Amino acid sequence: MTRFWEDIETGVDYPLGEHTFGEEEMVRFAKRWDPQYFHTDPEAARSSHFGGLIASGWHTIVVGHRKLVDALHSEAERLKSLGAEPGLSGPSPGINYVHFEQPVRPGDTLTYAMVVTHKRPSRSLPGWGILFNQIQATNQHGARVYLSEVVGFTKMRHPTIAARVKLILARLSGRAGQPPRR
Amino acid sequence: MPNPVTKDRWHFEDLKVGQTFTLGPQRVTADEIKSFAAEFDPLPFHLDEEVAKASMLGGLAASGFHTAAMALRMLVDSMLSHTAAMGGLGFEKLAWRRPLMAGDELGGGATITGLRPSASDPHMGLVTIHLEMHNQSGQEVMVMTLTNIVEIRHPHPLVLGAAG
Repeated sequence: MTRFWEDIETGVDYPLGEHTFGEEEMVRFAKRWDPQYFHTDPEAARSSHFGGLIASGWHTIVVGHRKLVDALHSEAERLKSLGAEPGLSGPSPGINYVHFEQPVRPGDTLTYAMVVTHKRPSRSLPGWGILFNQIQATNQHGARVYLSEVVGFTKMRHPTIAARVKLILARLSGRAGQPPRR
Repeated sequence: MPNPVTKDRWHFEDLKVGQTFTLGPQRVTADEIKSFAAEFDPLPFHLDEEVAKASMLGGLAASGFHTAAMALRMLVDSMLSHTAAMGGLGFEKLAWRRPLMAGDELGGGATITGLRPSASDPHMGLVTIHLEMHNQSGQEVMVMTLTNIVEIRHPHPLVLGAAG
């Protein structure tokens, strides 16, 4: 899936598509994974400071993740249709941060987007690169509802070259820590 | 006016730094892994045992988003549903250390690591909660640190006056 690490551009916005959160879907997700009253009970939620039902933040995140997986899949299909070899995504080592900035209410439509802010060869897995994916969702009023940074592994096309780059970088950073030569 | 849903629950004043809550344990099945992945993380190594065996994960493993959802549910059951909770501000430093394989049990603990009143709203306190999740062999599976808002039962009058 996706592109090889070498072909992934940093600093470019990738649109991931939209999702409208219906009340029934919000309640179903929350009853299973996040059963707090302002996520599961529209009546009781009126007593909360939100004044009504809101989506579980984790629900908005996992829908965004699904959008990302679909986008990676579409990109792989596009490359294959051009006769090119698609890359391969690996498991994620983690999420550096998620900031929830606005509640998501029934009927809200979120627009998801991603930018790879930077990338580097993996230190632990030869042949794999690391991507820092900044993912955000914006509601229909243009307000950002969350901002996150998800780390991802992706396969390198030329791991030997990458390993050489790694070695050079390691030497450079080693030198940086030494006093200047006279 | 007190919130009728949460008035008898723990408020900000009732929580202490260092307080811990037991999470789970809960077993995850291959069917649950595939079902969650089909909906939210349809990568081949979360959907198919054979593909999974050949992957970096070495076998069918839960999506990290599934593992975190399980931990969140445990946190709601053991802590947040007993608290005058007002939602989450987010989380940080979520690390998936080891995959949760089909048939594994996920369990762990939540520790309150920080408590501070909100700078902007005298009714709100911010609670920082660190989660450490492990499998049935005691190996670390996931860690994360959340920040949630909890209602303050008796907002400081001086702060209220300043805000008013």
